[in-house]
Amino acid sequence: MSKAVKPLSIILLAIVVAAAAAVYLSRQPNPVTETSAAPVLDNKGGGHFRGPEKAAITLVEFGDYQCPSCGAYHPVVKELMNRYPQQVRLEFHHYPLISIHPNAMAASLAVEAAGEQGKYWEMHDLIFEHQEEWSANPNPESQFLALASRIGLNANAFMQAVRSPQLQDRVLQDVVRAREAKIEAVPTFFIDGERIHVPLSINAFVDIIEARLHK
Amino acid sequence: MKLRAVLMALAAFLGMVDALFLSLQRNAGPIPCHITKGCNDVLTSRYSAVVGIPLSWFGLGFYVTVFSLAVFSIFETGQPAGNPLRWIFYLSGIGLMISALLVGIQAFTLRAFCEYCLLSAGLVLTIFLLSPHASPRKHSP
Repeated sequence: MSKAVKPLSIILLAIVVAAAAAVYLSRQPNPVTETSAAPVLDNKGGGHFRGPEKAAITLVEFGDYQCPSCGAYHPVVKELMNRYPQQVRLEFHHYPLISIHPNAMAASLAVEAAGEQGKYWEMHDLIFEHQEEWSANPNPESQFLALASRIGLNANAFMQAVRSPQLQDRVLQDVVRAREAKIEAVPTFFIDGERIHVPLSINAFVDIIEARLHK
Repeated sequence: MKLRAVLMALAAFLGMVDALFLSLQRNAGPIPCHITKGCNDVLTSRYSAVVGIPLSWFGLGFYVTVFSLAVFSIFETGQPAGNPLRWIFYLSGIGLMISALLVGIQAFTLRAFCEYCLLSAGLVLTIFLLSPHASPRKHSP
C-alpha cells in the first residue's frame, strides 16, 4: 500500500498540473482572432436580413454553407431568431472558404439564386439542414436543384440565376468584406458591429442578447 | 527501460494537456487554427463525438491511463497485474489505430486538419514506438 503512495501522488499532481495548464491555455487570447481580426465591423452594407428592420439588435454572421461549424451554429441562430422575433435582426454574409470547402461557393450561389425568387432564407435553411448530403458530392448542383424544387422555385430561372455573374459578384463582395474585417474562421459573429465569441449554445447567445437588451 | 517509461509519461502528460484543452475549448466558440486549416470543421464535425461524448474526453482517459501505467512502471509497483509497459503497448496500439482512422477522416472525409488532433495522433504514435514490443519479461519466482 505504502509503495503505491508515491506514484499515486505523482499521478494526482500531474492531473492537477495538466488541468491548470489547459485552463491557462484556453484563457489565452487567440492570436488569430484577437490580433488580426477587426474587433469592430464597419457598416459596409450588403448581406441578407432576417427580422424586423427596427430591431434593437443586429446579429451579423459571416458563414460558409459547407463549414460543419456553421452548420452546427445554424439551428442555434435560428432558435435565437424564434426567441427574439422583434428584438433581433440577422444579417448573413457569405464567406465561402473554397480552399477547404469546394462546394461552398456553389451553395452560396444556390442560396442567392433562391433569393432572386424571394426564397433566400428558405434555401439558406435547407442548404444548412442538408449540408452533410451535398458536401461530399463532387457535383452538388442536382441536389441544390432538388432543394429548390422543394420550396417551389422555378427550376429554369433558378439554374439561370446560379450561373449569373451578378450573383457571383454579390458573393464575392461579401468575401471582400470578410477579408477587410480580417476574418479567419467561420462562423464569425458581430453584434451591433462588435465582434463576439459565442460558445455553441443557445443559452450563451441568450445571455449576450439579454445583456445587450438591458444595457 | 526506466528512460522509456519517463518519456512515455512525458508524452502522456502533454496528451493530457492537449485533450483537456480541447475539452474546455469545445464549447467556447470557434477555434481558429494557427498552423493547419479547418480546426472548427474537425472539432464540430459529426465525427468529433461518440454517443454524445466528445472524443477529447476519451483521449483524456487514454492519456491518464498511460501516464499512470508509466509512473507505476517507473516505481515498479505494477508486478501483480503484469508489466505496466506491456499494457501501454496494447493500449497505444489500439490508440494508434483509432488515431489513424481519425487522421484519415480529416484527410479524406472532412478535408480539413486540426493541429491539436494531429498533435495527439503524434503523441499516440510516440508512446506506441516507445512501448516495448518484446516478449513478456520473465518474472523471478
